[in-house]
Amino acid sequence: MMRTTQLILLGSVGAALAFSQSGGAKKYTPKAPSAADWAALAKLPDFTGVWEAALGGGGGRGRGAARGNPAAGAGGGAARGRGGALAGPSLTPAYLAKAKEMAAQPRPEENETANCLPPGLPGIMGQPYPMEFLMTPGLVTIVIEAYSQVRHIYTDGRPLPEDPDPTFYGASVGRWEGDALVAETVGFAQVPRGLSFPYSDKMKILERFKLTDADTMSIETTIVDPEALTAPYSMPPRTLKRHRGWTIAEYICEENNRNFADPNGKAGIKLANPLASPR
Amino acid sequence: MLVTSSLPKFAIAAGLSLSLSALALAHHSFAAFDVTTQKEITGTVKKFDYTNPHTWVWLDVPNDHGGVDTWGFEGMSPNYLGRRGWTRTTLKPGDKLTVTFRPMKDGQKGGMWVSGKRPNGETLLMGGAITDP
Repeated sequence: MMRTTQLILLGSVGAALAFSQSGGAKKYTPKAPSAADWAALAKLPDFTGVWEAALGGGGGRGRGAARGNPAAGAGGGAARGRGGALAGPSLTPAYLAKAKEMAAQPRPEENETANCLPPGLPGIMGQPYPMEFLMTPGLVTIVIEAYSQVRHIYTDGRPLPEDPDPTFYGASVGRWEGDALVAETVGFAQVPRGLSFPYSDKMKILERFKLTDADTMSIETTIVDPEALTAPYSMPPRTLKRHRGWTIAEYICEENNRNFADPNGKAGIKLANPLASPR
Repeated sequence: MLVTSSLPKFAIAAGLSLSLSALALAHHSFAAFDVTTQKEITGTVKKFDYTNPHTWVWLDVPNDHGGVDTWGFEGMSPNYLGRRGWTRTTLKPGDKLTVTFRPMKDGQKGGMWVSGKRPNGETLLMGGAITDP
């Protein structure tokens, strides 16, 4: 009996090794950072610290873009964000049909974010709460206060995964182009992410992070999707201001959430039990 | 004078409501509130939930039957307010308060906080300037 179990265990380890080797052509093995790697960080633009969308600078925008009629922005029409008129996403015929189908449905009042599900990328980058950027060798980490989320942008030269599991924020790699960090992200699940148009699992999101002065950062976001879009779609750039005195605070959405979206997308608020909150 | 003084006020109010709408959208829409209406109600603070994703001001308001009804008003999060001068003790149980709010569409006793006013005239807004830049 013992022997059989061991054989089975050995067999499964062997299978796992074979599996990792079969995808091994692009396998990337991170190495421990050296003293030179740490020193090299000092030569990069300093993104560290806590940032929040500048009022009127394109942060926290998005009802028009996020909830507008998805068909309205297609075919060269303009999707209007808070910042003014912008070129809308140009959809392929198949995705234009999808968008029209979506537009014909009763528009939900609310989505799952009311139930505390965080919005995926790019919506998570436009929340009215700060984000902290951390820089370590080969990695830029973004700690997002809204919904207490985190993103990792690997700048250590690893390739994008070939067949990523679809997630909220996808898998990100970045490279430095002069003073700009250019991140590429793939692997997106179909979740609320603040996009006004239907997208495929081939969607790629490009972000360009750049300091425009000592404490101002601009983030340009471009969406590429060979199945859904006939051309790259550039979102309105976001402007963040650095707040040196700030720290990131806790945001546990489930703590005292009285808002909800029901299964039909109807919005509601639970007002019963006023004494129920934990603090 | 009236014209010149009302213009900036209007501009401030418009700016405030714009920033509030942008902010509140992060977590949920305004669909549950009648945003076309503002009402005022006076009572005594029963409890101030300094919680995420929203603060809640619970106000005991005298009713027609000699008792009180508890009304609930949804406000900005502690994360937002804490950077704009608020603390968990800005409102305390027993504080007298007049709340301006956008009522619930479904008739429940409550709504979205617009502003509060204390008996001494102090106005409590939730969209104020950053106090710790």
